[in-house]
Amino acid sequence: MAALLAKAAAKAFPKSLWIYHCNSGACNGCDIEILNVLTPYYDVERFGLKLVGSPRHADVMLLSGAVTRPTLPLVKRAYEAMPSPKLVFGIGSCAAGGGCWFDTYNVSGGGAAAVPVDYLIPGCPPRPEAIIYGVALALGLVTQKSAPVELKQVEFPIDAYLRNKAWEERNVIYRLIKD
Amino acid sequence: MRYAVPFVNLVCFLALAPLYEGLLRRLTARVQSRQGPPIIQPYYDLLKLLGKERLDSAGTWPFRLAPLLAFGSVLAVVAVIPFGGRISALAERMNAVLIIYLLTLAGAAVLFGALAGRNTFGLIGAGREMATMIMVEPILAMTLILGAVKIRSLALTAAVPAAFGASFGFSSALMLVVYLLALQAFVARQPFDIAEAEVELLEGPFIEYSGGNLALFKYAMMLKQMFYAWLFVSVFLPFLRTGVYPLDVVIQLAAMSAVFVLIGLVGATNPRMRIDQAVRYYAILIIAALGAVGLGVGGL
Amino acid sequence: MWLSSKLKQIVLALKPGRVTLKYPFEKKPVPERFRGQPVWDHTKCIGCAGCANRCPARTILLRDLCQEIRVLLYDGSRCTYCGRCADLCPEKAITMSPEFELAAGRREDVSQSIELFMLTCNRCGRCFDMEISNAIDKLDLRGYRYDSLEARTVLRRTTDRMAPETLGETEAYRRPERMGG
Repeated sequence: MAALLAKAAAKAFPKSLWIYHCNSGACNGCDIEILNVLTPYYDVERFGLKLVGSPRHADVMLLSGAVTRPTLPLVKRAYEAMPSPKLVFGIGSCAAGGGCWFDTYNVSGGGAAAVPVDYLIPGCPPRPEAIIYGVALALGLVTQKSAPVELKQVEFPIDAYLRNKAWEERNVIYRLIKD
Repeated sequence: MRYAVPFVNLVCFLALAPLYEGLLRRLTARVQSRQGPPIIQPYYDLLKLLGKERLDSAGTWPFRLAPLLAFGSVLAVVAVIPFGGRISALAERMNAVLIIYLLTLAGAAVLFGALAGRNTFGLIGAGREMATMIMVEPILAMTLILGAVKIRSLALTAAVPAAFGASFGFSSALMLVVYLLALQAFVARQPFDIAEAEVELLEGPFIEYSGGNLALFKYAMMLKQMFYAWLFVSVFLPFLRTGVYPLDVVIQLAAMSAVFVLIGLVGATNPRMRIDQAVRYYAILIIAALGAVGLGVGGL
Repeated sequence: MWLSSKLKQIVLALKPGRVTLKYPFEKKPVPERFRGQPVWDHTKCIGCAGCANRCPARTILLRDLCQEIRVLLYDGSRCTYCGRCADLCPEKAITMSPEFELAAGRREDVSQSIELFMLTCNRCGRCFDMEISNAIDKLDLRGYRYDSLEARTVLRRTTDRMAPETLGETEAYRRPERMGG
């Protein structure tokens, strides 16, 4: 009986996600776009999402803003106050990686510094359709469109050995996006 | 037959309360010109809440007990009411005052939970919930007492249809108007949802609850609003009966949906009142209800 | 009166019907000149690093891999879609496409990288050396035409650079409890 209820709960989870909106020092552009998403034109409530005011009721945290130094422990506490299973969406470039301010004083460098971000929705601010696209991606309604793009100008006439050595030694540039 | 009635009551109410709540949300969305959630959305909400981890954030026994108390008392009320006009086997020892007591117990359980949570927002929500309860429970009591006064007995099954049935006069008409004006406060919707659904502004008394506890509270709220719709239908429209039990049940459910449509429309078009404005409004309603009971005593 | 005004309100509210755009299933076209994801045309890029210089979020990075290869990496997670790179590019290799559906699970999914072929000098056969090796130019952290990755390690990142006690204080900060505890 308990197993049946657990399976029913797991099936009902994507159909009713409750959102908690956490602003960690944003300029409010992304917050306005999040509120736009709840208006009748882009109505996100038809997917079953509901805005709640307490992290204890919520399943999804919409994080906006580059996480500033004073808000760093508060975002962590709000994340811990959410009961699992939970998701975090980083809305906007600031929450995704720190935005223009990733290397300034008082900014901790994006949502990943405070909480594990599951989906990031870049944009400055992201269009409401882009936010709904991210939500639909999490619900499994659409497939992800963005993928890493790697292009080459010519097939280089360079000795393969030298090329491989150079690649190993000097491609620190690729490690940057993984840090 | 009398022994089957409590089960029919419980099954009907438990199964249909989330459907009515979904109807309300869909109606609110329709008035706001948007496509709302599907009508069975509250079933998904409750199921999902049952699957969440339950964070016992206060760790004290009132915190854990409160949702069970609220849900249990509302279920007790649902089991004994004469739904469909049939007397249930449990109603032999019930009278109208016990119903009022059980509903107040459900409200008090919400307060226990809020105060046990030790959260400032919960405290504010609990204070407002207390003020609302103090002013609104008398109106409910007087609705039932009007019937009791007319038929000179406090037995539940006699008192409920008697407000209309025994002798319809000015007192019943006045009580009807008072009940309709107070209906939004009973079901805690705009313009009187200062305490519970101030979800949008603060979080009210449920702020520290999560998971299964919150599901119990939400379910208790849904059952309570279905009860108040049923009370309106059975007290003021008892002539809608055919004598055939299943048909009576269906007719009462349909009439309850009409009441829910009214609740939804009023809720979607009104702003929220402040607690002092609301308390003044309830005071006028209490005086009017007292007047109705007085008229009933006087034979009108 | 009050009741008639509420009824009028309900009639007015129900008049527009449903205005919801059923978004992932029906899409509206974007406005023209909308700035979405920048897209590099690898056949036109000359590797001048002008875009990297002017990016406000320092999201475009260039690096010499070896004598003839230069790599351009665009990390889309911090991009603010301002369009400075497209404005500046002398070869018009960057276009701001109308693509905004960029939600992704990982940062790598919104990145683009190009390998560029750099010509060698006619006389000495080497490419122009972009490594900034004199002390004066190293001070310029933005690096004029070259993003100095070693210099990037001294970028000021707050929580990385804080002394551990300060960081501990920040993380352990608790708001004052309400009066009476």
